[in-house]
Amino acid sequence: MSTGRTPRETFKGASAVARLDLAVWRRSPWAIAAAVIPAIGMLVLVKVLTMAVLAQPVALVQEGHGPQADVMASFIKADTDSYILKTTNMARANQLLRSQEVAAVIVIPKDFDEGVAKGRAALSYTLNNVDIDIADDIRRSVDRSVAQFDAPQLGASAPTRPGTRTTPEAPGLVVPNPYRVDISETDLRKTAVPFDTYQVLPVLLLLVISVGVLGGALLGSRDHERQTMVFLRTTPLSRVAFVTGRLMGTVLATLTVLVPALVYLVLAGNVDPPLGHWPAFLGILGTTVVLSAGLGVLLGVLFRRSTTVALAAVIVSSYLFFLGGGFTTIAFLPAPLRALSHAVPTRYAIDGMRQALFYSDLHGVGTDLLALTTFAIAAVGAGVFALRTETR
Amino acid sequence: MGDGGRALVASARLEFQQLNRSRALVALAALEAITFLVLVSLFGLTGSRAPTAIVDEDHGPLAASFVRHLDAAHHSFALRHMSAADARSQLHDGNIVAIITIPHGFSSDVASGHTVMLPVVVDNVDTDLTNDIKEALPSAIVAFGKTHGFGGIRVVAAEHDLVDHETGYIPYLVVSALVLDALVVAGILGAFAITREYEARTVDQWRLAPVRSGWVLAGKLLAAAVVSAGAVAIALAIVVLGYGVGARDLSAAIAGLGLCVVIFTAIGAAVGALLRRTLPVAALFFGLALPFYIDSGALEPVRFDGNTLWKIGHSSPVYNGVAILESAFHGLRVTPESLGQNLVVLTLWAVAAVLVSCAVLARRVVRR
Repeated sequence: MSTGRTPRETFKGASAVARLDLAVWRRSPWAIAAAVIPAIGMLVLVKVLTMAVLAQPVALVQEGHGPQADVMASFIKADTDSYILKTTNMARANQLLRSQEVAAVIVIPKDFDEGVAKGRAALSYTLNNVDIDIADDIRRSVDRSVAQFDAPQLGASAPTRPGTRTTPEAPGLVVPNPYRVDISETDLRKTAVPFDTYQVLPVLLLLVISVGVLGGALLGSRDHERQTMVFLRTTPLSRVAFVTGRLMGTVLATLTVLVPALVYLVLAGNVDPPLGHWPAFLGILGTTVVLSAGLGVLLGVLFRRSTTVALAAVIVSSYLFFLGGGFTTIAFLPAPLRALSHAVPTRYAIDGMRQALFYSDLHGVGTDLLALTTFAIAAVGAGVFALRTETR
Repeated sequence: MGDGGRALVASARLEFQQLNRSRALVALAALEAITFLVLVSLFGLTGSRAPTAIVDEDHGPLAASFVRHLDAAHHSFALRHMSAADARSQLHDGNIVAIITIPHGFSSDVASGHTVMLPVVVDNVDTDLTNDIKEALPSAIVAFGKTHGFGGIRVVAAEHDLVDHETGYIPYLVVSALVLDALVVAGILGAFAITREYEARTVDQWRLAPVRSGWVLAGKLLAAAVVSAGAVAIALAIVVLGYGVGARDLSAAIAGLGLCVVIFTAIGAAVGALLRRTLPVAALFFGLALPFYIDSGALEPVRFDGNTLWKIGHSSPVYNGVAILESAFHGLRVTPESLGQNLVVLTLWAVAAVLVSCAVLARRVVRR
């Protein structure tokens, strides 16, 4: 491999390497499959979770049929956000609980109306508290139903201006209730994003990371396994041209998978940022592609054998995805992990993309893009250094 | 020992030597096992305790009591006390998901029987998260009213638990993740044991062996299974020692994991023989692992998610494996089937996996 070529010759050489790498990639259906499968698996997972995380299956047994019992039952039946309800008798409800067709049985007892009249009625429920996640979901839902009974207008209070508190000068509208506390909720944005739409974005990012890292790594390992590196050293190709070409090839390989996926998501309405947010969104996506390509090239040099490279790429992609907030919300993590996530480049990609897609402004996107670009430059720099060292 | 047995031992020894030469691969397989524990733990951390700013402008005793009830509202909030300005800034930066403000005069107003309105600002970017917060606030309010015995409260909830102990979400998740570890590690190493022979073109030489090729294959897979079991044992040790999750029935746990290693090594070998390429194996098992894991009762009993997902769950041994491990570690029954039934079904899975694998390997490797 030679050095000291003109920029034009270097560019020509780099283009040739990139075209070659792209051709190799297109003729490697197994490599493409390997890169795409984790993202498809994650997409299936999101779809299954969408069904699993929302309302819980609950049986309702209404033994009392007085007017107050009917009111209580109507509140529970109307709460379709919380319950997938089966109204049945006690024997059948217990059978459903045993066979795990419901997670809880709520009983409105015979003496419910009497209890209400005396001010000590009980809404009893038997809960399959197999883990605190599902158990707490149901506990919260039952509490809400109970609150609705004595305070049907809970949450109806409103300040004079949304988001402010009441003052003697601006008392707002406070609806009294026996709990003596009411809430006035203000949502930060006009529309709430459904769970699966919210999670499709990280899946898209996983696709980018997976294809970029695996693509770059496999092109590198292929040079070793087929011993084409020896051949490349004899070509009149400068090291700069080869290294640039390899990165360009990896980026192009990633784009061959990313662009169709993005077009599909746009047409399906899953990716629909405000018009002015497109440049930021594409900027983050593009920088992530470059970052992934740099990491892939680095892995290819480090691990050389395709067996090891494939496994390493999957692990690296997993950590980048999860620690970056792909399937988690960084704010929920303990302080040490939150601090660690600052060193994970995908955190900035996910934060930036969510801001660009789901929020009305681009607050913080500039910082995210700057951090992501810094990481991308570092990854590409490390990849270039490793590749140049290797081609000597 | 006959010729077959000697060939089996020799083949296993050779496979161990090859794995010894691929230490990076073995290390990565073990790392993959640990990775899944980390991943499910991260997921578990987001299932509860929404980071919420509490702006207490009252500082009275009833305000403090209300904050305590928020904190105790079914693992719903991770409360962070801060000023209103800090809270707004943190919400805007995405560091918290809600702000609850307790206004000045809260304690005196509540004590004198007035209803006080609490301003709550929620970052409703994700409906799942928003719903959790919306449901948790009434929980805290109901408990607050009940504790202080305010007049006019006519109904209370009376809970009866089916299980006599509470199992935390992360301890629940990491136990089921052990099955996922077995799937991924044993599947990958089982597949690699076969694809390596294709890619090195040594599979043709098996015909020259003086014994049936099945002995050679069995030796290779035995070695792969032993190494996989070692990687899963590391993950098991982390769960027991690192997470502090002790097994109530260690023998059932080991039996369940052992059967999973056998099943997934056999399935991995069959997949390796079908693909004949190393490249897509790791990604394929990783990609398959996630949906199978979710649809196996790994997060909650899968029957709660409806009959369709429950029936699909039965298409994978992960379903029975998770049931056995949750029973062995936490004493939980997460499937309608009993522990004994799940052990029998998992054993049948192991037999079926070995038979199917033998059939595939006989067709693709031995008789090619």
